Amino acid sequence: MNNIVEVKGLKKNYKGFLAVTGVDFEVGEGEIFGFLGPNGAGKSTTINMLSTIIKPSEGKASINGFDIVADKNKVRSSIGLIFQESTLDEKLTANENLMLHCKFYGVPKEKREERINEVLEIVDLKDKRGNIVDTFSGGMKRRLEIARGLLHYPRVLFLDEPTVGLDPQTRNHIWEYILRLKEKAGITIFLTTHYMDEAEICDRVAVMDHGKLIALDTPDQLKTNVGGDIIEIETENNQEAKAVLIEKYEVEVKEAGGSLTFQVDKGSEFLVQFVKNFDIPIKTVNLRRPTLNDVFLALTGREIREETASSKEKVKTGMRRGRR
Amino acid sequence: MEAIYAIWQRDVLKFFRDRARLIGSFAMPFMFLILFGSGMSGAIGSMVGGEAAAGPLRDFDFVEFMFPGIIGMTVFNTAIFSALSVVQDREFGYLREILVSPMSRTSIAIGKVLGGSTVALFQGLMMLVFVPFIGVSITIPIILQLIPVMFLVAFAISSIGLLIATSLKTSQGFQMVIQVLIFPMLFLSGALFPLNGMPAWMDFLVKINPLTYSVDMFKKIILQPEGLAPALREAMGLNLSVFGHVISFSEEMMVVLILSILFVVLATVRFNRSEA
Repeated sequence: MNNIVEVKGLKKNYKGFLAVTGVDFEVGEGEIFGFLGPNGAGKSTTINMLSTIIKPSEGKASINGFDIVADKNKVRSSIGLIFQESTLDEKLTANENLMLHCKFYGVPKEKREERINEVLEIVDLKDKRGNIVDTFSGGMKRRLEIARGLLHYPRVLFLDEPTVGLDPQTRNHIWEYILRLKEKAGITIFLTTHYMDEAEICDRVAVMDHGKLIALDTPDQLKTNVGGDIIEIETENNQEAKAVLIEKYEVEVKEAGGSLTFQVDKGSEFLVQFVKNFDIPIKTVNLRRPTLNDVFLALTGREIREETASSKEKVKTGMRRGRR
Repeated sequence: MEAIYAIWQRDVLKFFRDRARLIGSFAMPFMFLILFGSGMSGAIGSMVGGEAAAGPLRDFDFVEFMFPGIIGMTVFNTAIFSALSVVQDREFGYLREILVSPMSRTSIAIGKVLGGSTVALFQGLMMLVFVPFIGVSITIPIILQLIPVMFLVAFAISSIGLLIATSLKTSQGFQMVIQVLIFPMLFLSGALFPLNGMPAWMDFLVKINPLTYSVDMFKKIILQPEGLAPALREAMGLNLSVFGHVISFSEEMMVVLILSILFVVLATVRFNRSEA
């Protein structure tokens, strides 16, 4: 697999604030590559640098073989961009929006008609072609934007929070279209999201926090790295239960929303013995496979460094997190 | 070229689609010409000479005098406000779609200025519907002369608009700045009253106002001052001069042309630096 995006030591400095603190990664051709992280983690800043909207302070990156600083216009021709906020001209019709895009990107005149039909087909908006965009629903606008982003046959499609602000049903539809895109057009999709379930669709996920890449792998591998199954319990006395868990079972316990979470291997077998032997009355118990949510919690909760930290420090970090 | 055309086309298309704006654009000139102009014509007429006026001054008609100025005002307003679309595009996000495309910033800026100029030209030409009510005679050759002049003036003013729009983030801010700019430029251009016997400082402002030369060109085309009696020409303030030198039509054309080039370059440079 060829690398279509290559990033080396990319940094962005906003007047003393390091928004992105030197990231390295590659994206293979045809991949769905996801950027996962909370708001303000530096995802959008990274995408903005890659899409030539802002200049990196340091580091190098190339897309489709073109340098993002030296070959700006070639990079721009190679990518499609779908922003968080709509960038459609709502006073114009869908067709006019698409036609203008063709002209902006120099799509040859004789191919425009065919391409517009093609992209509208992908997003199921063929019958709305002559309508003013103002009359579209939020989901339809999003789809039209995706269609527009495809018109110039980009090699990489950047989607910055493609489903933010949409209802769950529309979100699912948008994802159907994105997956259809990958199959049909075979293009590379680079997206950011803070929805964990959306990141599951990606071939590989990069987890970002405080401007740093803290993990990069397939969703399955990331989950496996978390280790074992996840058990969530609520007890009559969580503080005491936590102490017992740490002492007796030697697990890392996270406290969130009135319940305790920890990880064990072979969760179902463990659970039977655990419930039988645990002294503090248990109110609820829940066993599940790790999700990307757990991966994220594990990574951003500083537990990643806890292998070397003493258990005392562990408790302290836990308490500090709880108070926050 | 395609890029310039696309940017231009979008602005022109949106202008003709916006009916309310199209109709509303008649409101201001109508008020100035019919309400203000007709109301003032008696007063101004009597000040100039009135019934007792000797010979040629009796022919002074204020509404007729104002008409070229009103055309100038319309072209000016439309051209400078056309740049509002840049600020609005920034607010509504469309500017990003434009700025992340492989088009050069220079093409975008020129497309924007040409779009604004074209719209202003149309609006200016639309003012000719008032001709039958005013009593000026407009012939085809006059219209043919007006078109390039209107376009050139509009081009200069659109460039000024773009220069301002590129520096501002909100449409409210833009409108504020433009309002503050429009009125003094308009009042000191000779569009609304003859520029006679002004204090020296005001005369200075008039002479550095690009609109003065623009309005004077419209006056020269529409009122045909060569055919008027010298006294009437003087009363109408048609002998625009700088340091005692009477400015000719072609000199005015040069002034506006130089200003066009200057401002379009400034606006383009400024636009090239703006971030998406």
